[in-house]
Amino acid sequence: MLSVNQLSKSYGDQQALQDVSFELAAGERVALLGANGSGKTTTINSICRLLEWQQGNILFEQQDITKSTDYMRHIGAVLGGCRNVNWRLTASQNAEYFARLHGTSKKQAFKTITRLEEQLGLAQYAKKEVGKLSTGNKQKAALLSALAHQPKLLLLDEPTLGLDIQTVDELQKIIIEQSNELNQAFLITSHDMAFIEKICTRVIVLNKGKVIYSGDIKALKEQLYHFEMRLKLTPPDNTQIEGHLKELWPNHSHLSSEDEQIIVHYDSPEQAFATINWLAQQAIVPLDLTINPLSVETAYQTLLDQEVNA
Amino acid sequence: MSFSALIANETKLQVYEMKQYWFETVSSLVMMCAVFAGLFYGVKSFTTPGDGATSLDGLVFGFLLWIFALSAYSSITKSLVEDNQKGFLEQLFLCPNGFTQLMLARSLVEMMWSVVFVTLIAYITMFVTNNWIDLNFFYFYLLMFISSLSLVGLGFIVSGLALNFKKVGTIAALFNIAFMGLVAIDALPLNIFSLLPFTAGASLSRDILLQNEPLNMFHLAIVVTNSVVYLVVGIFVFKHLVKRAKRLNLLGQY
Repeated sequence: MLSVNQLSKSYGDQQALQDVSFELAAGERVALLGANGSGKTTTINSICRLLEWQQGNILFEQQDITKSTDYMRHIGAVLGGCRNVNWRLTASQNAEYFARLHGTSKKQAFKTITRLEEQLGLAQYAKKEVGKLSTGNKQKAALLSALAHQPKLLLLDEPTLGLDIQTVDELQKIIIEQSNELNQAFLITSHDMAFIEKICTRVIVLNKGKVIYSGDIKALKEQLYHFEMRLKLTPPDNTQIEGHLKELWPNHSHLSSEDEQIIVHYDSPEQAFATINWLAQQAIVPLDLTINPLSVETAYQTLLDQEVNA
Repeated sequence: MSFSALIANETKLQVYEMKQYWFETVSSLVMMCAVFAGLFYGVKSFTTPGDGATSLDGLVFGFLLWIFALSAYSSITKSLVEDNQKGFLEQLFLCPNGFTQLMLARSLVEMMWSVVFVTLIAYITMFVTNNWIDLNFFYFYLLMFISSLSLVGLGFIVSGLALNFKKVGTIAALFNIAFMGLVAIDALPLNIFSLLPFTAGASLSRDILLQNEPLNMFHLAIVVTNSVVYLVVGIFVFKHLVKRAKRLNLLGQY
């Protein structure tokens, strides 16, 4: 359905996107991940034709989006934060306006908005202007407007920003329902890995404008570390251990230091035994030693850090 | 979506906003009348009994021209700056008809509302001041619609600048004052002032409606040419500035 091919964009010397390529099929839910400034929003804005790129192209149903007059009818977007709708209008007035703007008939728009308003739990606020709604409900109102014309492709830029857990759960449910029942494709950027893990089947990881991973979310998780050991030693011991640690971690592991702590990311619990044993043999008493399982978010960050170090 | 459907959608949007914020709608109307009453009695206190009627007719007429000119010009700029501040401008750029067509539809709707408001203000101010001028509203609006297109073009240019440079309040304020001059300048028969936007239209409507002169086709041609040129140039410059804003990723960075 959507094909982004070798997209490049720069601002002066700063490269915002470098040969970014990926595809998105109908009904697919794909996450676009990356740290701040990695190029996620630039990618989304390019797909929305809100900015011009220098190289590459974007095809929608085999047609170049810059040449297709019909393209805009088939996309919906919730862009950065919750500033997507007219705050002086109610959620349904906004949705009606945007649905009509995208060429949906009045009857069809009414039908869709009524259904979605119920699903999103916005019906009870029918008479309230968006400006008077909570952050979560403002975000829902933006989603209602983006979905009201039943687009084939939905672009959601940080849809969970500022939302509570319950609202995030509701949002997940709606996205899954929409894509399963109506075969709508979703491209979602988010820092919320738990959210992404629950709804997306595929992820694309961007770093400094480049795609560093594209594939199955399970395969991504396999590439990530699962545990973190933090060691704080007195200065001479600190230097001594650094040389040994590289030998002590034969497999998948990553070393870094922060706040005078040595941080080791690794795959399986038993890998820690060798270090503890080595410390005992050397009679080194650490000032602090902690071992914790890594959250998906932190583990994903280590993937980015590795890429930076490489 | 057809252009007429776009206009219908914009009209509905404005009705929603006016209903939701009825107090603002009413108070702006009252404010306009109050400003005019102030102006009227101010001028009246300076005029001698002999030239009073002519000056006051000119004042009422000039005021109506100014309001119409202001609404035509600000229809796009105000909307663009406000939507930018409200934060959903990018969503308007997703309109399948294109942003320019959407803005054109919006300005036409704004002008239609101006027709309603100007008529209301005209009757209220004439009633308040007891200075009744025999105005043919059909001719007035027809000429205003034609000549205001030049100001829509000007609005496009300023809006394009607003997209790129964000703060254009000074230019907007400058134009608000400049319009007072534009509606008063005598731009007919053809002279250097005919090149300014709206001036020829204002002069023609004054000639026909206040001086009761017959319609001069050559003068009408000047008004039409002035409007078409300003509108086309305005749209061209606007599209160029939108392209620049997209190239530099400036849309929505408020």
